[in-house]
Amino acid sequence: MERADDAGIYRVNDELALIQTVDFFTPIVDDPYDFGRIAAANALSDVYAMGGVPKTAMNLVAFPIKTMDLSVLRRVLEGGIAVLSEAEVVLIGGHSIEDAELKYGLSVTGFIHPDRVLAKGNIRPGDVLVLTKPLGTGIINTAIKGGLASPAVAALVTEQMATLNRAAAGTMAAFDVSACTDVTGFGLLGHLAEMVCGAGFGVRITAARVPILAETVDFAAMGLVPAGAHRNREFRQPMVSFAPAIDAVMQDVLFDPQTSGGLLISVAGAQGDDLVKTLHTAGVTKAAAIGEVFDGGGGRIWVE
Amino acid sequence: MKEIDARGLACPAPVLQTKAALENEGATAVRVTVDNAASAQNVARFLRSRGFAVETETAGAEISIVGRGGDAQSEAPVSRPASGPETSASHPEHAKIMVMIASDRMGHGDNELGSKLMVSFVKTIAEMGEELWRLVFVNSGVKLTIDGSPVLEDLKKYEAGGLQILVCGTCLTHFDLLDRKQVGVTTNMLDIVTAMQLADKVINV
Repeated sequence: MERADDAGIYRVNDELALIQTVDFFTPIVDDPYDFGRIAAANALSDVYAMGGVPKTAMNLVAFPIKTMDLSVLRRVLEGGIAVLSEAEVVLIGGHSIEDAELKYGLSVTGFIHPDRVLAKGNIRPGDVLVLTKPLGTGIINTAIKGGLASPAVAALVTEQMATLNRAAAGTMAAFDVSACTDVTGFGLLGHLAEMVCGAGFGVRITAARVPILAETVDFAAMGLVPAGAHRNREFRQPMVSFAPAIDAVMQDVLFDPQTSGGLLISVAGAQGDDLVKTLHTAGVTKAAAIGEVFDGGGGRIWVE
Repeated sequence: MKEIDARGLACPAPVLQTKAALENEGATAVRVTVDNAASAQNVARFLRSRGFAVETETAGAEISIVGRGGDAQSEAPVSRPASGPETSASHPEHAKIMVMIASDRMGHGDNELGSKLMVSFVKTIAEMGEELWRLVFVNSGVKLTIDGSPVLEDLKKYEAGGLQILVCGTCLTHFDLLDRKQVGVTTNMLDIVTAMQLADKVINV
């Protein structure tokens, strides 16, 4: 493997490769069941982003058994199992340790055809970029921490984070897709930069077409931006050219770190509209074409 | 000047401390000291969103954000305690009427007529006198605040005369009009809900 990718691949034979990934984190929502669902959807996402099908999973648990009631852990695991069964993934074991802070996640193994691995860096000029979930989970979660988000928005963002990228991955399998990744901690532009890095092609993003969760822009304008968005921007700023109309607030939204974000799919230009329509029919209703890859451009991102 | 030491705190804590100082203590001048650029940017943005003039001073790893001239009370989501001091920003003698305009037309039936009625409504609304406190534009109502709006000059005149005009940022973004707004303060649902709570009367159009 030459470059960082979403999961590890091990070729078994010409027809079959194993795809493996692991992810775990501290709670990002108060409800233990929802936390379990989100952690599972997030852990499975890396497999979907590479075009694989997850098959088995093992729990990773750190739990403060002396200070927290065991029923909390039960709810976390039940949330995880609910999402695993939705994904038709078998839980085959796990490991737990005692820790001062609750942590949960999964190690996931799946199957993938060795010739059909979707790496990040294979974008082609003429491709259209499709994003399958709205941005804003980092900013909204910051607003929730500050007690400023409405219950409706909090519920919306929880459901989005617990939504599997399975339908999106299943849909894209029938299209001429050159590259894919999932949008997580580096934000949309950070993950896009990983796709663009070294490809030598430019990417143009139209900010007005990027799906964004309700109230995200308002909260960003109030200064409720997580520090991660700032770090993401610092790191990738040299690769990105913003049109004057894209203000600092919108730039922060585009760099907002996402939890269990959507897939960012690079599809043949002629199929872009069809992919978006098919995604909508498959229940991925917020999917949108947000930009395109063009020849030249020296591996930069233009946002307008 | 209210001093806030938010060094060592991660986002959003510095913004929330600043918010609390404005809303609970009614601070109209504030100095917030932070130790990272992300917090500095967020605090500065928050203060500007509350009408403060903002200056930033950097000394080594520390950044001080100084905000002056804010109108803290008008943004406060909770009413002052009854024993609290009156401020110049409040007008206890007048009832506060908030008018929420959720469309660029008035009523249903004929679109052309609806547009004309809305223009006439906005031009006439000043007749409410001093009790008219805030105009809030949401949904397609935000189209009345952009360049080319038939009531733009009237709204600018009202704003210059002290009427507070709030324009929903989510709505501007939805219609891709964020750059074209010419009058009023871009706002969010929290401010709108807060305004509803503070108003003595809310009129929906």
